[in-house]
Amino acid sequence: MSYGRELIATRELLLNLTMREVKGQYRRTVLGQLWSIINPLATMVVYTLVFSLLLRFEPPAGVPSGIDVYALWLMCGLLPWTYFTRVVNGGVASITSNVGLITKVYFPRMHLPLSITLSTAITFSVELGVLSIALWVFGGFPLPWLPLVVVAVVILAMFATGLAMMLAILNVHFRDTQHFVGILLPMWMFLTPIIYPFSLVEAAAERTGAWVVTVFELNPMLHIVQVFRTLLYDNALPGPLDWLAAIVAASVSFSLGYLVFSRNERRLAELL
Amino acid sequence: MSGVTPRGTAGAAIVAEGVSKKFRLFHERNQTLKSAIMRGRRIVSDDFWAVRDVSFEVPHGQTFGLIGRNGSGKSTLLKTLARIYQPDEGRVVMSGRVSSMLEVGSGFHPELSGRENIFLNGSILGLTRKQVAARFDEIVDFSGVEAFIDQPVKNYSSGMYVRLGFAVAVHTEPDILIVDEILSVGDGAFREKSRKKFAEFTGEGRTVILVSHSLFEIRDMCQQVAWMHAGRLRAIGATDDVVEAYEASIESESS
Repeated sequence: MSYGRELIATRELLLNLTMREVKGQYRRTVLGQLWSIINPLATMVVYTLVFSLLLRFEPPAGVPSGIDVYALWLMCGLLPWTYFTRVVNGGVASITSNVGLITKVYFPRMHLPLSITLSTAITFSVELGVLSIALWVFGGFPLPWLPLVVVAVVILAMFATGLAMMLAILNVHFRDTQHFVGILLPMWMFLTPIIYPFSLVEAAAERTGAWVVTVFELNPMLHIVQVFRTLLYDNALPGPLDWLAAIVAASVSFSLGYLVFSRNERRLAELL
Repeated sequence: MSGVTPRGTAGAAIVAEGVSKKFRLFHERNQTLKSAIMRGRRIVSDDFWAVRDVSFEVPHGQTFGLIGRNGSGKSTLLKTLARIYQPDEGRVVMSGRVSSMLEVGSGFHPELSGRENIFLNGSILGLTRKQVAARFDEIVDFSGVEAFIDQPVKNYSSGMYVRLGFAVAVHTEPDILIVDEILSVGDGAFREKSRKKFAEFTGEGRTVILVSHSLFEIRDMCQQVAWMHAGRLRAIGATDDVVEAYEASIESESS
């Protein structure tokens, strides 16, 4: 039986592992699932305070939506990024934190990182829903763009999961990986125009040279964030280059991750 | 899984042919990037064959026991049969659906209720939601934890925890059940219930393969026994013959 078919045959396990993550996460908290809203709200308040009020970043108003609120502009990029980091961090640790399961029962191990992707996607959808309502209240009309937002979520999920699967295998060999990822992701965030507008990078390029823009554009997350922001904040169709870059990055990442993971998964039990 | 034949027909349930499993023993135990870079391309490791060239067949409807001292390779062999390890040499052919109970309740989430964990554990062991639902009452009944089924399992006593895990595992109704040293769970009454369940199992043409240090249990349940010593098969055959030889060897060593 090929690995892909085995995964499909055991899809109910994936569903159950996903529910385990979702239900287990906020057990014994008073606020429960509300935490998944409170977390991004708190980040939003801090970033808005520092970057909008103190540092006076001024992102362009949404065209044609007309929205001109830094906090909303920020969240259109920050929520996808937060999803990305949760999937990568969770996926990387998904093998090493399930030693008891892997060394005692056989099942396709890929369900472990995949269950992180899915359970985090549930939180992400709720967040996007709340954000859409806020955008609507402030004069936008994101509703007709939501089907394309779903496509963007799938692209982002594939990109993140592929990376997570490769790093999860590496983490079994070297536990340094998860610590390294913990340092790398915040750096990566500051190199992606999420809390500051891309116009700041272009302004810097005028002083130092056009290569700065080229280097920034090599970052797949820049294009993926741009897709989300154009759809949600501007209520417009993202440029073909952003779509293309996002789709290529997601396909390459996911195929590589799938290949690396499925080649190595049979040896995981003895390596742990 | 290749070579699947329906249960209860001629042919063996389990065929192991020249199965070997080796582990690498690293001299440097710390798995850090630094140590990998420091030792460069030089791989400092020895091969250790935990299981070496083991062949046997188990017919349908039998209970097959594995005995041997600690570190003789029983558990490694069992994990290889359960597909948790991949053999480095040889092959294993299992006919039918395999379920393993190497540790009961592995995969239980402590914060989830007994009910939720039954469904989770059932699907880890290869059942669909429908199949678990159909057996739910039986599982709860067998485990004897009805009163606490909606409590998080972290509040269970260790006995209740193990009984629930065991109940789920025996109700997955696999064609081949792989069991490691877990029959000693629960009190006397529960053990008696488990023993009956296993008898029922083999009566239906299912095959059980088990590791145990309790020779009483082995004598009581198994038709065939394999004796593992230092990774190899020392003896295989009818239960009484092999167990007697094993007992004799232990006595001669300890005297």
